[in-house]
Amino acid sequence: MSTSATKETPAQALARRIVERLVKEHLISERAAGDLRQKLADGKLRAGDWQLPIELSGKQERNP
Amino acid sequence: MSTPQLVKLTITHLRGSVTSFELPFEKGKKLTIIYGENGTGKSTICDALEFLSKGNIGSLDNRGLGKTSQYWNTISKTAADIVVTLEAAGTSCQARMVKGNVVVQPASSQPRVEVLRRSQILDLIEARPGDRYAAISRFIDVSAVETSEVTLRQLIRDLNSNRNLAAARILENQETIQQFWETAGSPGADALTWAEAEAQRTLVADDPELAMLRALQTAYGRLAEYPNRLLAVDATLRSAKQAVTLAQQQVSTQLRDSAPSASELVALLQAAHSYLQTHPEQAICPLCERAAGAAELDARIMRRLEDFAAVREAQNEEQAAAHQLQRAEQQRELFDEQLAKDVSAFTAACTMLAPSAIPLPPSQPSTALALPAWLAATADLPARWNQAESARQDQRKFLTTLKSVLQTYVENTQGQQELDELLPKLQRTLEIVEEERKAFTDAMLDTIASEVGRMYEQVHPGEGLDKIRLELDAKKRASLEIGTSFCGQSGPPQAYFSQSHLDTLGLCVFLALAKLDDAANTVLVLDDVLASVDEPHVDRLISMLYGEALHFRHCIITTHYGPWRHKLRWGWLKNNQCQFVELSRWSNTTGMAVIRSVPEVERLRALLADPTPDPQAVCSKAGVILEAALDFLTQLYECSVPRKLEPRYTLGELLPAIRGKLRQTLRVEVQSGRDAHGTPTYTSVPLLPMLDELQRIAQTRNVVGCHFNAISFDLLDVDALAFGQKVLDLIEALADPAAGWPRNDKSGSYWANAGETRRLHPLKQPS
Repeated sequence: MSTSATKETPAQALARRIVERLVKEHLISERAAGDLRQKLADGKLRAGDWQLPIELSGKQERNP
Repeated sequence: MSTPQLVKLTITHLRGSVTSFELPFEKGKKLTIIYGENGTGKSTICDALEFLSKGNIGSLDNRGLGKTSQYWNTISKTAADIVVTLEAAGTSCQARMVKGNVVVQPASSQPRVEVLRRSQILDLIEARPGDRYAAISRFIDVSAVETSEVTLRQLIRDLNSNRNLAAARILENQETIQQFWETAGSPGADALTWAEAEAQRTLVADDPELAMLRALQTAYGRLAEYPNRLLAVDATLRSAKQAVTLAQQQVSTQLRDSAPSASELVALLQAAHSYLQTHPEQAICPLCERAAGAAELDARIMRRLEDFAAVREAQNEEQAAAHQLQRAEQQRELFDEQLAKDVSAFTAACTMLAPSAIPLPPSQPSTALALPAWLAATADLPARWNQAESARQDQRKFLTTLKSVLQTYVENTQGQQELDELLPKLQRTLEIVEEERKAFTDAMLDTIASEVGRMYEQVHPGEGLDKIRLELDAKKRASLEIGTSFCGQSGPPQAYFSQSHLDTLGLCVFLALAKLDDAANTVLVLDDVLASVDEPHVDRLISMLYGEALHFRHCIITTHYGPWRHKLRWGWLKNNQCQFVELSRWSNTTGMAVIRSVPEVERLRALLADPTPDPQAVCSKAGVILEAALDFLTQLYECSVPRKLEPRYTLGELLPAIRGKLRQTLRVEVQSGRDAHGTPTYTSVPLLPMLDELQRIAQTRNVVGCHFNAISFDLLDVDALAFGQKVLDLIEALADPAAGWPRNDKSGSYWANAGETRRLHPLKQPS
């Protein structure tokens, strides 16, 4: 049984849910969400890809 | 966009389709039940759909045939003769074998088909946990997210390690600064404040003094070299003077041994030779003006000069010695000049330094001769200067170290602060990722498991076997356990379930997964999966399949379960929702063929509609139908009938059982249409007159329809036909050939069939 092309894969669905929560809890910005979601679903997130958006969000909070 | 409804499947020369076989699909019905005894071609229909969608025929797999494609075509035909065409509303798709491959055109119309065969029904239940996971992984495979999660976990581990390292270094830095501070005499308020102030002032102020000290030592060092150099220069001068005196004596000796005025003569000859070398064209002697060739003249001059060779050599040596002497005298002069410069440099170096800080000589040397005495008087100074420089170098190193330690301390403190801020956020991020992943996977497995349980409960209601669990094995990767609860005990279903229960469970698992995977675009094919379900559960399984089929694009069920056909004939199935197809016996000349299953009521109607009806046939058929109707009503209302070992009842026993208030209140609301708002409208049909009349003429059935009986001679044909007609009236009021019998009491006030085209009152037998 193959999944149709337009259907969200489990990894994509989970990545979407995770990123929504990260944004909701102000751990990352909405701007960073798209890139993070894609890489998360593809399994291509490196350490820096996790660290940078969270650091930037922290800086943004300090200097809005 | 919804996928177009199936119109027709045509199979040519595939497996049992000796000739071209067509299976038309009825419009508006998403469930097709294909009934046929073994060997009628049911599996060929499933094979054709699988051939079209997957390019394979799974029914031949695992039979020890090896590559099965050589058996796909009908005997006496070739693979190239195979054609399967599926027509849907507005589109068509065809599959053929081309050079051993299945080619589907157009590929865009290729249908999605999922086939479950009886042999596969337990595959998922009995599979190893890893294989079970593989089958289900497309719904729960979040390994990509897990990879990113591992990266995040490692990042947190690394940063925690960095933070601990930074904290340890901060402690070390603090201790070092404290030690420096105490070494410096604990000045100021505290070690850190002192260190910060020290780091600010440090190296800039001390650098020029160090440079001056180095310049002073260099200048003094140069002066210290002069005594030895002076000795060397003077020795060279003395030696050159002696060499000149010796050379002069040698010339004098040679001249004395030669002719008088030899010296002037040699000079004259050399001058003439030089002249002739530069004027070789001379034709006369330049002194006496006598005719003579220049070459000849020069040759004669050279011969005469050779006579004075010793004189000339002595003279050359004298010249060389004089030249050496001149150079030695120049060197001596240069020496004095250099000394004067270096003395000046030394004086300048002295004046740059503050006298109080560095010890300096009281005076500078004035001449070279005075230099040794001056150097002797100041011999202790270089060591003291060196000591001063070392002290300053140590101070410099100390400050450099202090600054470095302080910088490291600041950097580590800053790094620790940043990590203290970042790490809780990363930790929270990891918590979210873990929570969401587990929730996602659990939710998906719960969804599948509860769906399996829900369907299973429909087939086995109240048996308490519906608590199906799907669990990932935390200790193993990609391993899925299936579990259930039986009498409070948890374990694998294989441990507690009967074979029939396991088969149902396998079917439910397959259906639950198929429903999750784009069901609206999928043709579901269940090939003979009812065979292993035990009799009491078949009705409920069929009912469950009716409901589940609606989720798919189309559902095709093949079966050789005979009662299904009879239930169709008796209108017990929801015929308006499903298409029932019966396959006739297969032969190698005609191949597969469809025959029509005619419901019993339709047969009676046909008998009555015959221009020359057969009273015996009408009464016989009507009697059986009346028995069915009375059997239904007496069971529904729990009417009293004589107790028997075997439940075989006659019309004479059944008809009187429906009596009293029940008979008076029995009525059927027959759906007659819909009003302007689309609400169904009903015509109420009381059953009392029909039942009374049938009770009156019931003997007709036995007299005409069952036995040879002379009494029948007295009966008119019209009486026999009237009996048939009355039964037809009753059954048409009671049951809808398309929507079945009213067996559903969910309304709470009447019995209804599917779609409520019949509403039977009352709900309970009146007391």
